[in-house]
Amino acid sequence: MEARMIPVIRSLDTIGPSMLLCSLLPCSGETILGLRESLKWATDCLTEVDSSVAVSSGGELFLRFISLTSLEHQDLSRCKKVMEERGELFLEKISLSRTKVAKLCHTFIKDGAKILTHSSSRVVLRVLEKAAAEKKRFTVYVTESQPDTAGKQMADALRRLNVPVTVVLDAAVGYVLEKVDLVIVGAEGVVESGGIINKIGTYQMAVCSKAHNKPFYVVAESFKFVRLYPLNQQDVPDRFKYKADTLRTVSDLSDEHPMIDYTPPSLITLLFTDLGVLTPSAVSDELIKLYL
Amino acid sequence: MPGADKETDLTERIEAFLADLKRGGSGTGPLRGSGEMARETTYLLRRITAQARWSSAGDLMEIIRNEGRRMTAAQPSETTVGNMVRRVLKIIREEYARSRGSSEETEQQESLHKLLTAGELSEENFRQHFVHLKANVIEAINELLTELDGTTDNIAMQALEHIHSNEVIMTVGRSRTVEAFLKDAARKRKFHVIVAECAPFCQGHEMATGLSKVGIETTVIADAAIFAVMSRVNKVIIGTQTVLANGGLRAVNGTHSVALAARHHSTPLIICAPMFKLSPQVFTTIFYPFPGSFSYCLPVLREILSKVNVHCPVFDYVPPELITLFISNIGGNAPSYIYRLMSELYHPEDHKL
Repeated sequence: MEARMIPVIRSLDTIGPSMLLCSLLPCSGETILGLRESLKWATDCLTEVDSSVAVSSGGELFLRFISLTSLEHQDLSRCKKVMEERGELFLEKISLSRTKVAKLCHTFIKDGAKILTHSSSRVVLRVLEKAAAEKKRFTVYVTESQPDTAGKQMADALRRLNVPVTVVLDAAVGYVLEKVDLVIVGAEGVVESGGIINKIGTYQMAVCSKAHNKPFYVVAESFKFVRLYPLNQQDVPDRFKYKADTLRTVSDLSDEHPMIDYTPPSLITLLFTDLGVLTPSAVSDELIKLYL
Repeated sequence: MPGADKETDLTERIEAFLADLKRGGSGTGPLRGSGEMARETTYLLRRITAQARWSSAGDLMEIIRNEGRRMTAAQPSETTVGNMVRRVLKIIREEYARSRGSSEETEQQESLHKLLTAGELSEENFRQHFVHLKANVIEAINELLTELDGTTDNIAMQALEHIHSNEVIMTVGRSRTVEAFLKDAARKRKFHVIVAECAPFCQGHEMATGLSKVGIETTVIADAAIFAVMSRVNKVIIGTQTVLANGGLRAVNGTHSVALAARHHSTPLIICAPMFKLSPQVFTTIFYPFPGSFSYCLPVLREILSKVNVHCPVFDYVPPELITLFISNIGGNAPSYIYRLMSELYHPEDHKL
């Protein structure tokens, strides 16, 4: 089982955990409890390697899947078969979700718009691709997003689409906001309160947008909805804030720079998900519908 | 032949309705209230269901959707027409589901739960034919019409809970719903109303006359005086043209200023709006004026008319943060709850006709 995991871990992205868990289904235990145990173990291994929120929420959602399925079918082999089918379906739906989000969001980008975005997000990129495909003219400002300068990758990708793009310093967000018409960011996780967890610097951007009265839009797929309710920055668990190897090697975390921050729902205007355009208060409704 | 006659009669009525809509927009026809508009639309849709030729629910939905598109294109600012079309489409979906025997839950919104538990990515194509579908749909539309008839009364019934003795209420322009609301409260309580006249049409004057006829102490003020007077006001109660999906409003010009003044003085802002005004549109940034904002020529001296551009938008956007409460025919709700009410009224696939 471990041998099979290693190649998957190397090419990890948010869809990775579901694919991995799907591939594990044929091999494990004779009982549903055994299956659940091995899936939990697999998720834990994954979070040890890549401690992002999306991996955790994707894994939990898939596990939830299992508990819902096991209630319906008594016979284990039939159960496994149904789980496999549903797993495939789940993957299919997830891969369509980015397209759905792009379809909903691109209408909010008008001709001549100036957009500000943070760091690199594949969903935001897809939205901007769709808007560009609809022949809209817009310019984009991307923050450089230290410490990994992910913003530069986003800028390269946008240049390939022939969209005029400018990379700005993280500190220049307040400076550039007066020129900007709207702010669109992705999310690594959407929490129960309707707030988001995203690359460090997002909270700053949200506070500045509120001060300038600019709409702050978040685009995220629904599998990123996670059962957390942080009340402030401290409440976000350490396993999401820091990289997995940092957590393992460093003893005193107060010297480390967190990789993510929490943006409260009061600063977010709208969330675009594959479940539709949601106000932050609608997010907890969605989560309740799932977990009750 | 009777069949052909019915068809031509139906198309004639639809054309007459569309012409009426177009005229109402350009200012030459009579200004209709939204309640009346909603009722007329529903009558027309019921007639289409009864008289048009269709064999399955899918056909009927296509017909209604096409007519709905034409109607909304004729007068984009009149959103109640589109809302009624969407209500009827939802009714058809529900009746179809009921006839098939499947529970209504399965046809509902996308949700995380559905993501995990649903079967194949099935496309519901509404092709099955049911004998009683027509009768059921027409009955449901009749229920909708009864609901529409009772909306103003249902809202007015809640007045006594919100208006107390010796209060000063402010309102803007003329809203039939707010008028009924205040008149109902006046039967048992004594309070004072300040009406902002709402230039350039000054509909506030009619409102003030109507209110004073039932013995309410009314004062008319100019729009510029709203902020100055706001410190003496206990509540602001206004109507609106449309309630947007995010809980914001599209209301008569000047409402945003009233909302800001109320926020500054921490005065509650209460909106009386029936459910048929709830629209799945979202306000998409401030680049373009609202569709349907037309310029009316202000009384300007003839000499400068050729040298001046006059813009007079009819509607205003009020963001949901400035609103305290929505009073509708189903009760009072916070603006953050509007998305939920909307998911109960319309199906997500019908948001875009």
